[in-house]
Amino acid sequence: MSVAEAAGLAIPVRRRRLSIHFRPSRLVLNVVLVLVAIFWLVPTISLTVISFRPEGLFGISGWWTVLTAPSQLTIQNYETLLSTGFATGGILDSLVTTAAITVPATILVTVLSSLAAYSLVFGRWRGRTAVFLVIVALLVVPVQVALIPVAQLYDAFGNLTGLKLFGSLPGVIIFHVAFGLPFGVFLMRNFYTGIPKDLLEAGRIDGAGEWTLFRRVVMPLGLPAAASLAIFQFIWVWNDLLVGLVFLGGNPHHTLTIFLFSQTRTLAANYWVISTGAMISIIVPLAIFFSFQRYFVRGVLAGAVK
Amino acid sequence: MAAQARRRSLVLRRIVATPAPDPGAPNLEAAVLPETGRAPGGGWRRHLGSLAFLTPAGIWLLVIVGYPLIGTIRDSFYNNDSTKLVGLGNYKTLFSTADILVTFRNNVIWVIVFPFLVTFLGLLFAVLTERVRWATAFKTIIFMPIAFSATASALVWNSIMSIDPHVGMLNASIETVDDWFNAPGLYPVNASAGQTVASLAATGLRPGPGATLESTATVAPGQTLKLGMIGISPATLQLVGAEKAVVPPAASGAVSGVVWRDFSPSHPAVRGVVFPDEDGIAGLHLSLLSSNGSSVASTVTDAHGAFSFSSLSTGSYRVEVVANNFASGFTGIYWLSGTQSLTPTSGLSQTAQALLSVPLVDLSMITAYLWIWAGFAMVIIGAGLAALNREVLEAARIDGATEWQTFRRVTMPMLAPVLIVVLVTMIINVLKIFDIIVNMAPSVSQANTLAVAMYDFGYASSPSANGLASAIAVILFILVVPVIYINLRRIR
Amino acid sequence: MARVVLKDLTKRYAGGNLAVDRLNLEVADGEFVCLVGPSGCGKTTALRMIAGLEDISSGEVSIGDKVVNMLPPRDRDIALVFQSYALYPHMSVYDNMAFGLKLRKTPKADIERSVREAARILDLERFLDRKPGQLSGGQRQRVALGRAIVREPAVFLMDEPLSNLDAKLRVQTRAEIARLHQRLQATMIYVTHDQVEAMTMADRIAVISDGVLQQVGTPKQLYEEPCNRFVAGFIGSPSMNFVELKVQREDGMRLVCEGTQVVLDDAMAAQLRDLGLEAATVGVRPEHLRVGEPEGPGLRVSATVDVVEFLGNDALIHAAAEGRDVVAIVGADIHLAVGDAVILSAAPRHVYLFEPQSEMSLGAR
Repeated sequence: MSVAEAAGLAIPVRRRRLSIHFRPSRLVLNVVLVLVAIFWLVPTISLTVISFRPEGLFGISGWWTVLTAPSQLTIQNYETLLSTGFATGGILDSLVTTAAITVPATILVTVLSSLAAYSLVFGRWRGRTAVFLVIVALLVVPVQVALIPVAQLYDAFGNLTGLKLFGSLPGVIIFHVAFGLPFGVFLMRNFYTGIPKDLLEAGRIDGAGEWTLFRRVVMPLGLPAAASLAIFQFIWVWNDLLVGLVFLGGNPHHTLTIFLFSQTRTLAANYWVISTGAMISIIVPLAIFFSFQRYFVRGVLAGAVK
Repeated sequence: MAAQARRRSLVLRRIVATPAPDPGAPNLEAAVLPETGRAPGGGWRRHLGSLAFLTPAGIWLLVIVGYPLIGTIRDSFYNNDSTKLVGLGNYKTLFSTADILVTFRNNVIWVIVFPFLVTFLGLLFAVLTERVRWATAFKTIIFMPIAFSATASALVWNSIMSIDPHVGMLNASIETVDDWFNAPGLYPVNASAGQTVASLAATGLRPGPGATLESTATVAPGQTLKLGMIGISPATLQLVGAEKAVVPPAASGAVSGVVWRDFSPSHPAVRGVVFPDEDGIAGLHLSLLSSNGSSVASTVTDAHGAFSFSSLSTGSYRVEVVANNFASGFTGIYWLSGTQSLTPTSGLSQTAQALLSVPLVDLSMITAYLWIWAGFAMVIIGAGLAALNREVLEAARIDGATEWQTFRRVTMPMLAPVLIVVLVTMIINVLKIFDIIVNMAPSVSQANTLAVAMYDFGYASSPSANGLASAIAVILFILVVPVIYINLRRIR
Repeated sequence: MARVVLKDLTKRYAGGNLAVDRLNLEVADGEFVCLVGPSGCGKTTALRMIAGLEDISSGEVSIGDKVVNMLPPRDRDIALVFQSYALYPHMSVYDNMAFGLKLRKTPKADIERSVREAARILDLERFLDRKPGQLSGGQRQRVALGRAIVREPAVFLMDEPLSNLDAKLRVQTRAEIARLHQRLQATMIYVTHDQVEAMTMADRIAVISDGVLQQVGTPKQLYEEPCNRFVAGFIGSPSMNFVELKVQREDGMRLVCEGTQVVLDDAMAAQLRDLGLEAATVGVRPEHLRVGEPEGPGLRVSATVDVVEFLGNDALIHAAAEGRDVVAIVGADIHLAVGDAVILSAAPRHVYLFEPQSEMSLGAR
């Protein structure tokens, strides 16, 4: 008895196992998939192991020798890397810088997208469809088209007001938000269109204003979509290299990706710094990935057009 | 698992289409307010109210995306410091500079190879996991790299693809396999570094056929030979456990002797004498050649470099140091080489060569990028598969289709829209690929892409070349215009 | 053409859930058999096992005297019409019907002929070039039938093929399927939860509940001689009324409860006496209740009219008898108003008795 049938639902799409005459190949299939999974895990494992091996062993023996000699493992690299504390340009400073960019950019995108989507779905002004189509068009516009003029814009703004945007965190954040918005509005709008309009009409009859309707009715209902958007945006911004590279300019504070990038570009690349730094840089997005995988998948599915 | 799959398909439908209305929510009849009717009691303020919600995002997009887009297009027609109109000059420069053309070539390679491969892998994984119990675990493993920055992933793959088999796992794996078939000798001669076997001969040895050495003199049983070699480092000898060279005593019916490192720090200029501070060459494979040149016996030198062929019939012999002592084994493939090309194009003009060659580094980077994005393709295609009407697939089986026919003639056509979405998404993704290139390819390489070139022109060069950079940005934009069109049509 | 035999057919899901429990059924060549039962009773699972879409946990399915347990669907010589129609969305109507024949490497001309013929029978000729997405529900349904017909299978299997149609179309298509069966003279096994469909179309009906076969018989048999309370309640619309009554032995045998009594005729009384029962479940169909005192033995209920539903020719009465709801169909000429006290009665041959524990019919013993 399928679940659908048991629940008394007439669901035409029933999910059942495709094949029943497929037993012997099951084993082969499983073996192949195990091998693929191992292959996929190897890079992550190698990064982890290298970050825990003494600097001196790199280039003498491969990281895989740890399988036979686990005593090589040490946290020495982490101690060395973290020992500089929050010194400017160090790994912890980069971690803080990255977070200081990612968190505001994520919050801004989520909130502004939700508001804009509300207006596009529940507003009564003309031209909503046109605006939405413009936003859809912006979905795939590459960041490259804005890099140079925005930098000039920041300079001009700085000359006018004395507030330096180029080379500052707000400058990076502003840019990230702008390029996060089309996707955010798109995702939130698609979700909001599923909320019955009657719900808002009922609220209006009860005398609720637009802000109250947004705050008390639409936003709570849209929370799953907002969570998907926030997680997607967080990982996106956290992992960015190009925007930070351009708009942080001469700023001595680096993002994590810039920290790693500049390590590879030095002549004597210190692989122990790189691998340990890379490990530290992926901890946060990885934690978010595993805690909110479901929301993340939703975001990915919704963002299939990005 | 079925429930999970359904949930996943629900997720897709829900996000793409609509959320399920909250059943507990109050649900007034729509008749209360006509759908398009003006609100009773005139609500221009309300119109304004909801329009105000759009304002922050709208202004943000206008200032940071809209205006700059126009600015970039304008800049692309100006010279590099935006002071003089040059018309299509920048574009002409781009399309006539060999380095930039190579950049275009790389973008073409990426756009052609990567999206298809990643879609294929995603489809493969999505289909195969339909039938296993641990699909969720598998999918998580494949999907996980998407949480990594492309920068970190590039660094991981840098180490995996390192040329040094002590660092790079890929080369280490190849070395292991290679060693089974082609074991390296104890005293490898690195031909690519210009070393030759002949240069190792010092005393009583001369180059033999192939990469061998043989004794210059012939010997009869009962005689001893002193064979001196140079060009072998003390470190190597220490590694194989060599000790002080000792000349063995002559024995009747046997050819004996010593092979030693004929270089004494105390007598650096003297050859042919076995000094006490000279080591024997241990573990060397020797062969005894009869007068007609055929091998009649073989042996290995001991730690002191001594050897002996016993129970020989009378005659004249030579001692040969066989070739496999010097086999160099596997020295590593330079996966990230920007110059090694997979498509030999010699005989063509230089420009044609540059444009038609496929650098190895491109394919190596594509491999790394596949590792990142295959999970994405798999998840989307998996959701598409889960959303298919199972009964249609069953109908095909009832109609007599085999598994493969069902897949080929029913599943694939039904899945086509999803595959196209993945393909298009990935094309847009690699069109502006940047992080992987700058972190994986050698600094000055033939692997640059448009996005990297634009960054170099706009920011990494001094003074910056805004005109050229803008022109590249405009080209990138033009390339996504068809996708914009497709998206708009799909939404409408 | 072939007969289908199910022998102890069982489906046990991982986790021990029994969907179908030792189902035994013989479907004769050319017979139209309906598997009917409430949602989730296992009827669809049974059908899918016959089709080869579901593993058989134990037991046997034979089609045309051949055990087909291990055969894939394509080798079973069956066609299945799905609840969702399961048309190939990317193929035209023609290709949908031709697909199975193409896979069997049927010559092109033969395919053309079969498909045209099926399209003619089903009045689909104008739609052959359309995609399923461009068809109405009823047209899709006919394409699904056509896809089955062109294959000329030995056995037609249908899984609730009418459940996605609106009421009017359902009646039409019902007749169409019945006609189709007449014309093709093929063996058909038809799954539905709607007993009206089963009653109108089937040669024989198999009633299934909780994976267990309750009774097999012609529609008339099931209606007149239900073997247990479940079948009695399931077959017939509106459902049979049931009431628990106590046996009273004074003054001849009778069953009583407040407001309701049954005076037994001799045969019934003898049976009850033999069994020594102290109580029994009494069932009577709404259409067998009439207004007025019983003439001689039989059932008598005194009740108060709750709701009157006017149906045209007659009226459906819901009446309350000491807290129990009794439904009766009475002629429209009998005028009853809400709140009226009414005596309802039924003749002994229309009174069904069931054992309260086993719920088995006493008549069937």
